[in-house]
Amino acid sequence: MSPLLSRTVYLLVTVFFALFFVLPIWGTLHTAFVDVRGGFTLDYIAEVFRNPLYREGLLNSFLIALLTTLACLLISLPLAIGYVRYAFPARTWLNSLMLTPLILPPFVGALGIQAMMGQAGAFNSLLIALGLLPAGQPVDWLGDGQMTGVVLMNVLHLYPIVYLNVTASLANLDPALEEAAANLGCPPWRRLWRITLPLILPGIFAGSTIAFIWAFTELGVPLIFDYDRVTSVQIFSAIKDLSNNPFPYALVVVLLFFTTLFYAGSRLILQGDVSGGGGRATTGLSLNGLSRFRGWLLSGGFFLVIGLALMPHVGVLLLSLADDWYGTVLPTHLTLQHFTEALGHELTLSAIANSLKYASLATLLDAVLGVGVAWVVVRSGLSGRQWLDAMAMLPLAVPGIVMAFGYLALSREGQPLHWLMLGENPLLLLVVAYAMRRLPYVVRSAAAGLQQISPTLEEAAQNLGASPLRALWRITLPLLAPSLLAGALLAFSFAMLEVSDSMILAQQTLYFPITKAIYSLSSALGDGPGMAAALGVWSMVFLTITLLGAGVVLGRKLGSLFRL
Amino acid sequence: MVAIHLNNLTKRFAATPVLEHINLQIKPGEMFFLLGPSGCGKTTLLRHIAGFYTPDEGSVWFGGQDVTRVPPHQRGTAMMFQSYALWPHLTVAENVAFGLEERRLPRREIESRVAEALSVVHLSGLGERRIQQLSGGQQQRVALARALVVRPQCLLLDEPLSNLDAQLRLEMRSEIRRVCKDFDLTAVYVTHDQEEALSMADRLAVMAAGRLAQVGTPEEVYRHPISRMVAGFIGETNLLQGDVLGPGDRPGTLIVQTLSGPLTARLTHPSWRPKAGEAVWLSVRPEAIRLEALAESPNHFSGELVEAMYLGATAQYRLRLDNGLVLAIAEPNPSGTLRSAGQTRVAATAIDDLIVLPE
Repeated sequence: MSPLLSRTVYLLVTVFFALFFVLPIWGTLHTAFVDVRGGFTLDYIAEVFRNPLYREGLLNSFLIALLTTLACLLISLPLAIGYVRYAFPARTWLNSLMLTPLILPPFVGALGIQAMMGQAGAFNSLLIALGLLPAGQPVDWLGDGQMTGVVLMNVLHLYPIVYLNVTASLANLDPALEEAAANLGCPPWRRLWRITLPLILPGIFAGSTIAFIWAFTELGVPLIFDYDRVTSVQIFSAIKDLSNNPFPYALVVVLLFFTTLFYAGSRLILQGDVSGGGGRATTGLSLNGLSRFRGWLLSGGFFLVIGLALMPHVGVLLLSLADDWYGTVLPTHLTLQHFTEALGHELTLSAIANSLKYASLATLLDAVLGVGVAWVVVRSGLSGRQWLDAMAMLPLAVPGIVMAFGYLALSREGQPLHWLMLGENPLLLLVVAYAMRRLPYVVRSAAAGLQQISPTLEEAAQNLGASPLRALWRITLPLLAPSLLAGALLAFSFAMLEVSDSMILAQQTLYFPITKAIYSLSSALGDGPGMAAALGVWSMVFLTITLLGAGVVLGRKLGSLFRL
Repeated sequence: MVAIHLNNLTKRFAATPVLEHINLQIKPGEMFFLLGPSGCGKTTLLRHIAGFYTPDEGSVWFGGQDVTRVPPHQRGTAMMFQSYALWPHLTVAENVAFGLEERRLPRREIESRVAEALSVVHLSGLGERRIQQLSGGQQQRVALARALVVRPQCLLLDEPLSNLDAQLRLEMRSEIRRVCKDFDLTAVYVTHDQEEALSMADRLAVMAAGRLAQVGTPEEVYRHPISRMVAGFIGETNLLQGDVLGPGDRPGTLIVQTLSGPLTARLTHPSWRPKAGEAVWLSVRPEAIRLEALAESPNHFSGELVEAMYLGATAQYRLRLDNGLVLAIAEPNPSGTLRSAGQTRVAATAIDDLIVLPE
């Protein structure tokens, strides 16, 4: 690509980020730090910390994130080591099944958890039926003001991200490094402690950071659990009155400050790392055998985790099929009514159409921007291209709720992004919001694909008479197609099931995307929850298909998309 | 067939100079080699000819035309890449047809020329294969066919044989040379393998640290190196230090005082003429040293054989001189008993085989 074209791409992407990334955040910062007379003030921020309600919210968010991350690590570390190192029954299958939580949007899963673990849920009913629990005194498993439930759902959704990161680091480790330690007399457990763990620390950190920030800012799950003493929900409740109220802005700024702090901190720690996966593997990775008992024990560990992880799925499925389900182990009557109703309901039909529209446009935008950015970064040799790369990755560091809040605030009457609202229609706003959030995934997969395509392939084409653009069209794009497709598939399905932007930006029923429709149905009376669950099942199937598709195309590289 | 002229070519990457004031004339139809250790700039030079780099100073000429600013796809060169750079999403025939398609040739002509090119490299019938289904040697032939089929002005080869095993490498050497001569191509060939260069080149340039160390025919460069770097890089050599005493009896010779006494040696450098008292180096090839006294030569050494190695075609010895220096000696077609280590021996070399080189 010619320098001129590279610079144009650079400029366009920079403008895109200036308008739709920097500006919304800047607008939020501005309102949070500037008082009515136009002077700089820290009063609003200070008020956030003075207000006991906000303080509790922050503390709870932090606690949820911390507990979630620790639990994810506790689950993932031993199983990842077991998977990479040992042969055990059903190894390959169990490893794939570990990823099942990814196919269920967490806030839909929360509906399922409630049905399973709630006071009148399946689990209590089972205990009562077995005589282990006196009827009429159900245990509140999701107790403590629902915080346990939020953590449980977060863990069940986020552990695969940690697991993927850890297994990837382990698989990249040169087995010779450990063999060298063994050769020098280091026993297995000390090897794990002195060699393996320090070398995979970057992977552990990367996965944990994503899980932590995700849990810290998660909106959908606490919303479904009706748990309003966390920062994300407090922000969500405050958006109804933005006109003269600086406090939601200040709250968003505080949330952004903490996530940036966590993100930057972990980048800093990762940067100092020199191991780089321990170099090229010099020997093949061979699996250690286990005794039959230990092998089954390890499989059992996987079964247990997967079983727990499937609980929300089962809950949602049963809920969607239940005619009436209260205080019994299984629904008393099964029905397909919710599915047929969901397809006939005006809200769900328009929601599906809306989501398809928003998500495809956003994916298209992402594909174009993603190829451009990846190209400039991997191929152009333009000075400052690493800044473009860093910029394209920024949306990973900023929580969805912060961005969504910024878009909402700046698209109001008289604000600089008001032109994105087509009357009451948030189409452009949502497309831009979705595209911005998922751009890193597309850039990453396109860049990974490009890196695998040797530049000499293109040079050979130019050498034989193809102009740079023709070489791109005939050689590079066809070779890039699989990676790009995989990234686009992920961007698409995530956009279909995006929560923060959808919850905050779509205000009119007519323009609701799927997720907001599920949310509003779940709290509706009558058949609402059943229909919400039916829609949830639909989205589960949809995500399964796209993830399987991406997995087939990307193979083992799928995990790389969920890394820091 | 085109002459290539590099005029004062200079290129820096960041601040590091990788090519410095390169002046080179490659004749039409010539098979020209760029030879040098890795990092010497030979591939960079080749990529300037192909148009992938633009020089910071100087110019590239094809015949009478300045092509310095012409983009790669309009230069009409054809390059064989070290990695072959075959496109994995296209078949063998599609790979070969690519350049013709870019030249907008009619379909039928493309088909017949692809078939012809494949037969030239002995790959007829494999046109529908995928690249991944071919062996290394076959891939190399596809790369050659893809380059030849466009009938390039010149063929550029970037270490095309380095990924092949030894046997195949030997076969492909004569194959490539035959094809280039049949097609009357100007070819520029980059390699770090001196044997490849000596056996295939019409002329070659030895490069070191971004400069041309010496340009000449293989024999010139091997027999008359003009610097220690060239003498050491092409073939093996023994180097001795000394000071010039004065001119020898024959014109073009010098008498040099060394630790082994005064030796008479030949000057190869076209312009350099060291004065008496100047420090110089002497170079002599192992195979130019005889393990016997030579009546016609004043250049004698004596020492102890410390190592003897029988290699079939040659025998190699190491002779430790009385002054401590160790000479490598090669005896072609060795016969009779192997001289065993520990003996004291006399060695000698002819005046023409001992060369004076600058400090």
